[in-house]
Amino acid sequence: MYLNETHLQVREMARDFADGVVRPIAEALDRDERFPGEIFEQMAELGLFGVGVPEEMGGPGFDSLTYALVMEELSRGYASIADQCGLVELISTLLVRHGTDEQRALLPSILGMRTKVAYCITEPEAGTDVSGIRTTAVRDGSGWILNGGKVWIHNAPVADLAFVLARTDKDKGHRGMSIFIVDLHAKGVERGPKEHKMGQRASQVGALNFSDVHVPADMLLGEEGRGFHMMMSVLDKGRVGIAALAVGIGQAGLEAAVDYAATRKQFSKPIADFQGVQWLLADMAKDIEAARLLVHSAAMKIDAGQDATKACSMAKCFAGDMAVARTADAVQVFGGSGYIRGFEVERLYRDAKICQIYEGTNQIQRMIIARELLAKGARV
Amino acid sequence: MKVLVPVKRVIDYNVKVRVRADGSGVDLANVKMSMNPFDEIAVEEAIRLKEKGTATEVVAVSIGVRQAQETLRTALAMGADRAILVLASEDVHQDIEPLAVAKILAGIVKEESPGLVLCGKQAIDNDMNATGQMLAALLGWAQATFASELKVEGEEATVTREVDGGLQAIKVKMPAVVTVDLRMNEPRYASLPNIMKAKKKPLEEKTPGDYGVDVTPRLRVVKTTEPASRKAGVMAKSVDELVDMLKGAGVV
Repeated sequence: MYLNETHLQVREMARDFADGVVRPIAEALDRDERFPGEIFEQMAELGLFGVGVPEEMGGPGFDSLTYALVMEELSRGYASIADQCGLVELISTLLVRHGTDEQRALLPSILGMRTKVAYCITEPEAGTDVSGIRTTAVRDGSGWILNGGKVWIHNAPVADLAFVLARTDKDKGHRGMSIFIVDLHAKGVERGPKEHKMGQRASQVGALNFSDVHVPADMLLGEEGRGFHMMMSVLDKGRVGIAALAVGIGQAGLEAAVDYAATRKQFSKPIADFQGVQWLLADMAKDIEAARLLVHSAAMKIDAGQDATKACSMAKCFAGDMAVARTADAVQVFGGSGYIRGFEVERLYRDAKICQIYEGTNQIQRMIIARELLAKGARV
Repeated sequence: MKVLVPVKRVIDYNVKVRVRADGSGVDLANVKMSMNPFDEIAVEEAIRLKEKGTATEVVAVSIGVRQAQETLRTALAMGADRAILVLASEDVHQDIEPLAVAKILAGIVKEESPGLVLCGKQAIDNDMNATGQMLAALLGWAQATFASELKVEGEEATVTREVDGGLQAIKVKMPAVVTVDLRMNEPRYASLPNIMKAKKKPLEEKTPGDYGVDVTPRLRVVKTTEPASRKAGVMAKSVDELVDMLKGAGVV
């Protein structure tokens, strides 16, 4: 087995935490669309944010495979909890790789959940095609002046600090974008209302508008004009995280379906005795395991410093599609009950859908896979 | 004050137990094993004593197969300072009996000179509830069993014990052996930074021979069987019929 003792120890701890703390209140969080600050505080104390941040920068310093294990287990408890972990991982990876010492000094507060973060890329006219962003940052003496609007931003209603992709040179395409670290309590920042979503409803999502927001010069992340590339550089890990999150949703559905099939009786016997139900369970289990192995393989490629782009896209695409299809099966095992609010599988099915959309749609993942195949050949 | 905490690797409490085909015991091959939950409570209490400044060092010890080092790593990740693994068997199915465990622990106590041994009241695998008491007898120390609260004050400790129908508070002289019950505390989750740090904490390996102890079993298991399966119930068609049934059974 490729999982070492430490991997297993972390997985067990995350699993216990998800079972003991997260899963029991997932239905309530979904119903109330509530930001679970108290759970995030506990997670911060347990070092579950910034899993890959090196010890000397205040993190626990684990590999990407450990991160994937944590994401799956947290998501098995509730996907919105894992998604916060994924967001912090992405932001902290950006800071670790590209931040100045002063910027990295933000890490302990971010990992401790005292500073809540947002990652701002998407705009009304720029979703999958990031090059279409219209948010601009213009030099102004002691810093930059930021103008524009971002939508579907995770944490927008609650965040303190945003990492904003903005255009700094309109003529340079992908090389004309930069990332700025923006204080969301600054003058000129306006928050839109909280969106009411289909699933992962405890994740707070909304719009952010910037009108003449002053950003100090030392809050430019990395080099000017490298924003798009920095963003892309952390996408592999982001995709592994979301893929693991999708596996966690599928796993929760499988566990619920197996338990239900064994206890629900029709025609005087448990429905698990019927082959039709058995095949649903078997298909769920094999696809979840296949997705999990793709996730682990992609994570290990990142950890080994190999080219992981195709592996991460395959994991994200397969796991996202799997989560939607197999939670639909979980609903099917539950029959009418599975369609009722309050039954876990009903929520899981809704929570799964976004896995085909965020962190790059699954259509984009297929384009990436095909592009890699055609550029580098199909041989493994 | 140094605190010694013995921890046992046992079948996880969530695992559905299966009896081995030959009836010699419970099947432990390829099943999830964890730290005995009572021992986890003991580790937690020891760490709290250290956090309060009462204890200066927490040493975890496990006696059994090599895989018990995973159990020790868990104790280290929770906050124990170092660990001792006594390799007493290569067979996961060989249980080291309480007297042998107590003798080895007595040997470790002589080497380590702790001021307190905190252990689980019993292991959930065979429910012997004997090791702590035997250890106290071998050392000639005071013992306090089934503790739900522990207050160490210098040369004395006040221990609240869970007894039938209530709580009993006793004072024991230190050094002492205290065995802990379920309600003493709620063990913490090991944090990720502490799991990482635990990898670098010292884990010393010993053998029963180092303490002059022979762990050959003295007890013989005659038979192990599954609990009798529950018989199907009877459906009462009406409340009257139910009342008649209850009367017939002499319940009401």
